[in-house]
Formats: sequence, C-alpha cells, structure tokens
Amino acid sequence: MTTAPSLSNDLRDLYADEFGRIQQEFSATGDGRAAVLQRTSLVEKVVLRLWNELFGIQSAGFAMIALGGFGRKQLFPYSDIDLLFLHAQPGGEELLKGQVRDFSQRLWDLRLKLSLSSRTFAECDRFDPNNIEFAISLLDCRYLAGDPGLYADLHDKLVPRLVARESRQLVQSLVEITEKRHCKYGKTVFHLEPNIKDGPGGLRDCNLIGWLGLISAMDKLCAWPDSQALADVPGKPSDDALQRLLSLRCFLHFRHDRDDNTLTWEAQEDAAARAIGMPSAEQVPTPDWMRLFFSQARSIHRACRQLLEDVPAGWSSLYRQFQQWRSRLSNADFSVVHGRVFLQQPSALDAGLLLRLFQFLARHGLKLSSALELQVAQTVPLLSSTPLPGIELWPALAEMLRQPYAADALRTLHSLQLLTILLPELKIIDALVVRDFYHRFTVDEHSFVAIDNLHRLAQTSSEWDRRYAELLREVEQPELLYLSLLLHDVGKGVPGNNHITASVEIASQCLDRLALEPQERETVLFLIANHLEISAALRRDIFDPSTVAALAEKAAIPERLKMLCLLTYADVKAVNPDALTPWKAENLWQLYISASNHLSRSVDQAMPAGTESDYAERFRMLPPSAAKKLKNFLEGLPRRYVASYSISDVLQHWKMAEHLREETVQLHIERRRHWYELTVVTADRPFLFATIAGVLTAWGMSIVKANAFSNHQKTVVDIFYFTDPYRTLELNLPEWERLKRELRAVLAGEEDLERMLSSRARAPQGHSKKVAVQLRVDFDNASSSRSTLLQLIARDRPGLLHRLSSLISHEHCNIEIALVETEGQMAIDVFYLTSGSAKLDDKQQHRLRAALLEELKDM
Amino acid sequence: MTKLEAIIQTAKLDAVKSALQEIGIEGMTVLEVRGHGRQKGHTEFYRGREYTVDLIPKIKLELVMPDGMVEKAIHAIVSSARTGKIGDGKIFLSRIDEAVRIRNEERGENAL
Repeated sequence: MTTAPSLSNDLRDLYADEFGRIQQEFSATGDGRAAVLQRTSLVEKVVLRLWNELFGIQSAGFAMIALGGFGRKQLFPYSDIDLLFLHAQPGGEELLKGQVRDFSQRLWDLRLKLSLSSRTFAECDRFDPNNIEFAISLLDCRYLAGDPGLYADLHDKLVPRLVARESRQLVQSLVEITEKRHCKYGKTVFHLEPNIKDGPGGLRDCNLIGWLGLISAMDKLCAWPDSQALADVPGKPSDDALQRLLSLRCFLHFRHDRDDNTLTWEAQEDAAARAIGMPSAEQVPTPDWMRLFFSQARSIHRACRQLLEDVPAGWSSLYRQFQQWRSRLSNADFSVVHGRVFLQQPSALDAGLLLRLFQFLARHGLKLSSALELQVAQTVPLLSSTPLPGIELWPALAEMLRQPYAADALRTLHSLQLLTILLPELKIIDALVVRDFYHRFTVDEHSFVAIDNLHRLAQTSSEWDRRYAELLREVEQPELLYLSLLLHDVGKGVPGNNHITASVEIASQCLDRLALEPQERETVLFLIANHLEISAALRRDIFDPSTVAALAEKAAIPERLKMLCLLTYADVKAVNPDALTPWKAENLWQLYISASNHLSRSVDQAMPAGTESDYAERFRMLPPSAAKKLKNFLEGLPRRYVASYSISDVLQHWKMAEHLREETVQLHIERRRHWYELTVVTADRPFLFATIAGVLTAWGMSIVKANAFSNHQKTVVDIFYFTDPYRTLELNLPEWERLKRELRAVLAGEEDLERMLSSRARAPQGHSKKVAVQLRVDFDNASSSRSTLLQLIARDRPGLLHRLSSLISHEHCNIEIALVETEGQMAIDVFYLTSGSAKLDDKQQHRLRAALLEELKDM
Repeated sequence: MTKLEAIIQTAKLDAVKSALQEIGIEGMTVLEVRGHGRQKGHTEFYRGREYTVDLIPKIKLELVMPDGMVEKAIHAIVSSARTGKIGDGKIFLSRIDEAVRIRNEERGENAL
C-alpha cells in the first residue's frame, strides 16, 4: 500500500507530466475541446486515486460527484474543480470530516483549486435562493465514485423534481445574475481587452443558453431531456463557435499560467499569430482575428439577450403590465408583443419600411422579434445591391438619431450588418480595436456609447449633468451633433497618426452622399475637425483669457460652441466610464461658459481686413459688378453675422437689400422646424427693432430669438425667430401676406402699433406658472471698442422685447446689435448700444438702468 | 528615500513630466486636484447664474526617490512649472521609511 507522502509524490508527478503533455499537444493542435477533455480525465484520475486511498471502503450512502465545468467535462487548464460529497443521511458528514479534510489538503498540495460542497440528500432538495449557483451546478452533475444508487436518486429523481418545482425562481435568478454580469461589462461585447469567460458573448453566456434550454425542457418533461432536445435549444452557439471559445480560454490559461480570461492586447497578437480558433492554421492579421472574435461574440450575446427577454414573459404581473403597456405602442406598420416588434403585414420588407422600423426601435427602445430579425437579415443582399439614395436616407437617419434609444437601434442595425450598408464609411471601424490605455471600447462601440451619453442626459439626476442637459435642449439641430459623433473617429481605421484629417475626409464623402444642406455639412465637418480642441484647451489654463478667446474664435458662433462642448462631453465620457471625472466635467463647463461669454462680448468685432474680399471670393459665380455690391453690403457687418448665416442666406439678404429701391421694407417669412423666421431688411431708423417686435407681439407671436445687425450703409438685417401659439400662420395662408402688409404699414407710420398692442393686452395672458428669475441689468463698456453692452436677464412674458427695445430707443440709444434668446421662462437679451455714435456715458447708463428697472419691477 | 509632492498648474504637467524624465525620474503618480493658496478664485456669470470657482483645478504629482535625486528633482520642477505669477504651486518633501515592489517583494531604493 502506498503511503500518503509517496502517493502525493506520485500524484504530483503524474499531474505534472500529464499536464505538460496536454499543454504540448494543445500547442501543436490548438484543439481546445480535446485539451479540456484531457484535463478533465487527468483530474478525474487524480481524485479517484485519492478517493480510493481515503474513502474506498466507505462508499455506502456516500458519493463523490463532479459539478460545474468538471461535470460538463470542460475543465480548463487552471479552472477550479467543483466537487460534491453527497451523504445519504445527516451525520455522514461528521463521520467523514477527517477524510474530507485530508482529501482537500492533498488536492491543495497538488496546487489544484478545489471548490468543495458537502450536502446531505435532503439538503440538495432544499432550494436556497441565496445560493442559486449550487442549484445550477447540479444541472451538470456527473458520477465519479461512491454509492451509485445515491447518485442515481440525485440525478434521476431529485434534480428533475427540483427544477420542475423551482424553475421560475431558477430562471428569474439566472436572469438577474446575468443582467448584473452584463452591466458590469457595459452590456457590450466590444471591449478592447474582453473577458472571454464572463464578458457578454463569452463562455458564461454559452453556459446560460444551455442552462435555460435544459431548465425549460426539464420543466415540461419533469425528467432529463434526450440529447436531441438539447441540440434544438434556440440560440445555441454552433459547435465551431464553442470550439473557438474553448480553444481561446485554454490558450489564455496556458499563456498566463493561471485562471486569467482577459484577452489582452499582447494575447490578441499571439492568438492571431497562432490562428487560435481558426478553421485552418493560417495566421491572420490581429485586427481581422479580433473582428471574427467580435462577430461571434455579438451573435452569442444577441442570442443570450433574446432568451433573457423572452423567458420572464408571463411570470411577473408587473412585468406583464409593463409589456402590455408596450403593446399599446403598436401602429399600422408594427405590432409590439411582450416588448418585441413584429410586422403587421408580413410582406416584403422594403427600404422605406426598414428605416421606419429602426426609427420605431429608436423611439421606444424595443427589440426585434426573432422572426423579424430573420426577415431583416434577408434584406441585406437586396440593400447591398441597390443602396438607398442619400437624399432619402438622411431625413430618415436624422429622425432616428434624434430618438432617445438611437444608440441601441444603431447597434441592432450594426449587428445585422445593415449599418455598414447604409453608411459604408463605417466599415473601416467595424469592431476596430485601437490600442491605447484609455479607451475601453472598440471604435464603433465608442461612437454608439457617445451618442447614448447625450440621450441619457434627458434622464439625469446629477447636478453637473443637468447643465449639459439644458445645453442639449438648446441645440437647434441635434441630429448634426449625433451624426458628428457617429463619424468623428472613422479616420482611426486609416493607417497614420492623424485620424482627424482622415475622419474629415471620409465624413466629407459621406455628407456629400447624404446631400446635407451646405451649412449643415459645414457644421458637421467643423465638429469633426475640432472634436479634440476643447480637450486640448482643458490641458491649458482654462481661466487664461487667451485660451478662452482662442476657443471662442474657433467656434465663432454660440451654436457651434454649444455643440462642440456637448460633443466633447459625450466623447470623453465614452472613452471609459471613469474618463469624465467631476474635475474634468467642471473644467469643461467653466471653459464653455467663459467662451460663451466671450462670444457675447465680441459680437460687433468687424471681420478682419481682407476677410470681406475673401468672403466675396466665395461668390465666384457673380459678375464683378455684383461681387463689388456684395462686398459693399458686407462692409460693417460683424463677424458674427457672417459666421451665423449660410452663403445662401447672406445672398438672400443681399438681394433683399438690392430691392430696397422698389420696396423700402423687404420682408421674408419662412417656416422652420421649431419656429418661424422673419427677416427684415430695411434702412435703419429709430424704434425699428422695437416696432418689429411690437407687431409680432400684437399678432400673438412669441419671440424666442432675435438677431439684429447693420452695415456701414445703415442697412439693417433683423431676423426674428418666433413661435405661433395660436397657429395663425399654420392654418391661414392669407395671413402671411397680411402680416407683411401690416408690418410695412406700421413701419411707414400708416398703422397705429399702440392700438394693435392694446387689443392684445386685453387678451388673456395665459396661465403659465411663474418661475423665479432673478432680474439682472448689467452694463459693460470694456468688452466692445465701439458700443456699450447691455446684458439683461428677466422673466419672459409677451411683449417684453418690444417694451425693452422701445425703452432703449426712448432713451435715445441706438441698438447696433441685438442678440435675444429665451430659455424656458428666462429672457436673455444682449444689446450693443450707442448714443450719438458713441458708447453710453455713466449718466446715460444710470438713466437707462433706472428706466429698465422701473419697467421690469413687476416681473 | 524622500517623497516629493508637487502641486502645479494644469497646463504645466507635460513640461514637468518631460523635465523629470530628462533627469532620469520616470515613475510618478498624477492626481487631478483642486485648491488655492493666495490665488483668487474665478467667477463667471452665465444666463443669470453665478458660477464661482474658489478651488482652482491643479495637478498634484507624487514621487518617491533616493535622497540624492531630490535637489535635482526640485530644480527640474521649479524651472519647468514656474510662470512667476501667484498660483504656480508648491513642493512638499517628507521622509519615506520603506518601499516594496509588489511584483517581486524587492525593498528599499531598488524597489523605486
């Protein structure tokens, strides 16, 4: 009989030799399935020899059972060994305590990590919701040694009975554990260094699919299902996919000499070089190898998510109610059942319906049903061969990007290979791993996370994030911001150090194809070209005026500055969850508001000498005489005017100025997405701005924004943005002309504005709740070289702008520039004032302040 | 061994890192901090609200080095971080009893 020390030595030698052989064989073949089977046999040999040594003659009413990976015969090189010592009766544990301890110690001495459970038969039948893992591990139980009858009772009777009885709880717990696990990894497979065991799309998800299938079958049969039933489990990963994961985990274990399942960068290169998990032994470039890995992980993750969503249906009354609510989202095209989308008419899915489908998903955060997913996947060849024209694609894409769950819809499109058909420019960043220590996600996933970061601002409770949420609400065309985020890093797929230049080039082609308006195109390209500017500025002194001025000048207009700030917020936060520290978020905000204030204070800066001719250069199509006239028109207009308006807008204003000889007040009204836009081009005169504001007020319009500029020839370009709460213009086409006629008549002195306003004053003012807005009246004589700045903040109310601007004019002040904005119930007005072509002196400021405070005291 | 803690302006981090690397100091810990000495805060008004920053963003560097390197390190930091204005920062020194390398349990200056 061998003595204990010599047995241990024998086992140590046996294990070391065999383990070395397994490792060598794996090195040669890369066959993970074979390696795990071999290690399972090896460990079995060891534990059986120990069993014989320590328990051999005492097997009645006592059995040793393999659980978990050991039970599944999938022991990876450094996996724990899950064992159950099963006792028929209580008291057995106490009797065998010494041998069990000895057994454990011997295995520890062999450096085998043992996870040992000791239970009585009755204890196994008791379901413990706090130890779901044990119940799940029983699903993989396998006889090793001891009382076979006891094992048979466990396997044939107890386990099926337990599962049938507790299936709901088991599944619910599995769902919860999996959700937590997925959340820990950001619910994405696209990590730069993924964990192939616990990460989404990894081995744990494969196990989960198997367990859910097994539980479902056992629940129906109250017995173990046959192998055919198990083979038919929906969503089961293919043999190839499983073999790839088995091989990869073995590779990582051997490489790291421990149970480390992180596919580090170095490991990725090594695995690609050794063609781990590839059908042939051919070496592939690392990026391609990773793309294959992600493609497989994405499929497994999607199957897993689908099962998680399907499984709890009907089991929770609250969940049922929630899903029934979601069923009410059904419309003419789509029905929603248990949170899954189906087609109402299961006919051919054309491009238009497809885009509407994804808008629907993006709006409501829904998922595709399996049947619809299959149908959508079948449209891929059709869409590849006949791509949708950009001019049709962009409005649909813009609508989708604006929706709260746009990122999830983009991910679904991407996983079905459709996104790279609609936007081929994204192909080069599909599952692209870029090596740096900060980024956590692949490039495409980073863009989706960035888009999500902005949409989530709507639900934030963080004080800091709320500021950014307010800023986002002010952005006029958020779809341009989201499109910029989608394209901002495409250049990383191009070799070279400067991804920004490449991104701009590629995005430019994309925008041409999408047929964006010129100004929209410029905005997106500006954002992409400058998406690192604010991050760079944050590394400088953010309170240094030159840093602030440089950023403000780069943005040129508030709208672009806002968008750039939000893009930076979203981009930094998408690098990794800890990247946007409170320190950085605060500094970003400080820099933004400093730059915004700088922009407000420098509006009247004329274009630098020579710029007018540069600008006019852009109108090369004009004959020389017309170009000269345009140049004269632009002289004196501030840089802000040129930066705020597109070339076509400027041309239109100029044309209106050219027609002043025929009609002294040129008017143009246009309906935009959020408001109406009234452009007035006329000769400057006292009370002009106030009069226009008054006429709009008298018509019941609500002015939300206004810009007023004038050139050296005293031609004024005033643009008022207003909403029409009574829908006068929307429902009555003739009223457009009547508004213009009345405005001209008032400006010509033929109509009495005060009479018009008095009838409006008698109308009910609405019941909007008063929000406390602290009144501020601030004069600034330093920021502008030519004008006095008046910054006024007050609670907005109908007619406010007319009253303020009238008052200013009554005080003999001329409004050179007006920048008017409304934020909720807060009016934020900035006027550049002169009096007698000079700045206001102290007395004038004092008088005007007193008049304004008197006027606003009741507000 | 001496621990050197330096509070510097955010904009000076790259310059200080380069200067330290030039004299052979590679290892350091960088923290994003806020604080002030006599440097005044900053107030900005935006949309009628006041945003006051009393605690200015700074960078704190922590380095541990052999005693013989201390003066060189101080000189490197001062020459690269100084602007001459209030707010340039400060350097603090303290004694370190022991250092241990986690990977192989090396101790003392060899662990630095």
